[in-house]
Amino acid sequence: MEITGYNVAFIAIAAMTVTSAIFVVTLPNILRSALFLMFTFIGVAGLYVLANAEILAAMQLLIYVGAITVLILFAIVLTQQLMGARITQTSRNIVLGGVAAIAVFAFIATTFVSHFSKGSDMIAAQPAVPTSDPLLMIAKMLIQPYVLPFELASFILLVAMVGAIVIAKEDKD
Amino acid sequence: MTIPVSAADWIVINTELILVGTAMIVLLLDAFNRRISDRISPWITLVGVVGGLVSLGFLWGQEYTGFAGMLVIDSFSVLVKMAILFGTGLAVLLSVDYLRREELAQGEYYGLLLLSTVGMLLLTSSANLIMIFLSLEMLSIALYVLTGYARMRPRSQEAGMKYFLLGSFSAAILVYGVALIYGALGTVDLAGVAEALTAPGILSNPVLLAGAGLVLVGLGFKVAAVPFQMWTPDVYEGAPSPVTAFMSVSTKAAAFAALTRVLVFAFSDLSGVWMAVIWAIAALTMIFGNLVAIAQNNIKRMLAYSSIAHAGYILVAVASANQLGIQSIPFYLIAYTFMNIGAWAVVTVITRKGEEGVGLSDYTGLFWRNPLLAVSMGLFMFSLAGIPPTAGFTAKIYLFMAAVNANLIGLLIVAVVTTIISAYFYLRVTVIMFMHRPSEVSAVHVPIAAYVAIIIAVVATLWLFLFPNSTQAFTEAVWRMGL
Repeated sequence: MEITGYNVAFIAIAAMTVTSAIFVVTLPNILRSALFLMFTFIGVAGLYVLANAEILAAMQLLIYVGAITVLILFAIVLTQQLMGARITQTSRNIVLGGVAAIAVFAFIATTFVSHFSKGSDMIAAQPAVPTSDPLLMIAKMLIQPYVLPFELASFILLVAMVGAIVIAKEDKD
Repeated sequence: MTIPVSAADWIVINTELILVGTAMIVLLLDAFNRRISDRISPWITLVGVVGGLVSLGFLWGQEYTGFAGMLVIDSFSVLVKMAILFGTGLAVLLSVDYLRREELAQGEYYGLLLLSTVGMLLLTSSANLIMIFLSLEMLSIALYVLTGYARMRPRSQEAGMKYFLLGSFSAAILVYGVALIYGALGTVDLAGVAEALTAPGILSNPVLLAGAGLVLVGLGFKVAAVPFQMWTPDVYEGAPSPVTAFMSVSTKAAAFAALTRVLVFAFSDLSGVWMAVIWAIAALTMIFGNLVAIAQNNIKRMLAYSSIAHAGYILVAVASANQLGIQSIPFYLIAYTFMNIGAWAVVTVITRKGEEGVGLSDYTGLFWRNPLLAVSMGLFMFSLAGIPPTAGFTAKIYLFMAAVNANLIGLLIVAVVTTIISAYFYLRVTVIMFMHRPSEVSAVHVPIAAYVAIIIAVVATLWLFLFPNSTQAFTEAVWRMGL
């Protein structure tokens, strides 16, 4: 791999993303895990920028870093006896689970490596991205060909909200 | 700029719109007046379900494609949707008195049940991987909550949590698979996938194969096929009985419709690869489900393993991938809906408050306590085992014929042998009910709504055996489904 600005940026961002992700699933303090999750999300946003998907990166920052991480932090802070608690993130199935995880990772990794070694003909030609106004294009896609998935997503949110209320509400009578 | 929604689009989603509308009415009514809502929301729900069935009647025999090919209406999807709505309707009848007995709130329950049904209906029609993912999420999220609906019972909570964690995990695997398929083919449209697969050299693309494999895992989880069945016994046991009845038939129907559409119609050019995989999964599922069911003394767990085994039988039809196989899938799903909901209806009635009384010993001498209930349960057990005169027999005959036509002799032998094994644990229930005297003869109280559900299930189970020709015209049309 040549040393170009792009490659250096990619490796730095990817390393940050992966390292923080490892911390998320290993640290015994759940608050620190949540903070590292934020860095993982920021890293993913960086990868989107490198892939020329600036709007996706902005969404990622707004929704995942801005909203979801904050929500997780609120949930941790407001839950009693969770703040200082030490949490083990492994179970007694760690060996079996580890083997399974490594096997799946190796499978996917070989797939991609074999793809890159053969050249890029294995990835289908992507639809051309308009250079003019990608935001307008996304907006048009959402309310024209993808109007049904868009509406369905809002119903999924409704189901999730009703479900959350059902689970969390107090029993009065 | 206008949002282009054509007349065909409205026709394609009209069943879903009826049920979404009903769900909104039920949820809003509950928000405004809980007392009225507790009394009438099950009946509003039933009206919506019947309305959905009527709308399906109008769609019968017609073919529509809506929303730029995202949803299709054909005979296959209409029949599977009927199975789903029958499942929902019978589950509502079971829930009315169950929720009162367990002192659970009514309004949100029916709202979630309806929205889950909408997800299932959409999944049945989906001809686009994004739609498949979204509708799968919609039905699943509602089911996670319904599984844990009896919040005061730790078992129900545990089941809900387990289902949620494993379900989100499998959803993530499915999305990963969809992403890889998009990467390899540049499309998520099932018709587009089928077309892209005709390109030379594409079939050996490892990215495509990995993607298809991951999608298969995601859907295999929903139909509870081995080795993705771990969650099933705990979830089916812990969830409220009517919810289990509903999800064991309706989720299965919807997920099998999606699996068939993806494998047989979109990935048919790849059948050389997935045929062997489905073969192995079907054989493992039948063997595992039936063998483990033998060891169960808890009727809910026994029926859970039986449900796993039945997924294996339907996979035989998928593996056949011929005309008879595809026709027999909706027939099997409809027959399974009635016989399995019937069995769960009896279980719901027999269990006492707090889901007590689910051991096989609670069925000792049921004939002397309530003959009608015992005879119905006996019929459902016969049907699940595939013994005449029941719908289960006819459905299995269709399946076996499909396997013979597809020359899947090895798989056929596994299916026949496991069917014979399954007769043991199904008939054991019958023997306990009829041959053993109960220690004390106390009458079983059966609410009227549950009686209605059981009688509908009994009539349908007999009807599909006596007059399979009445559905033949339906199933024959199925093969014409185009993509």
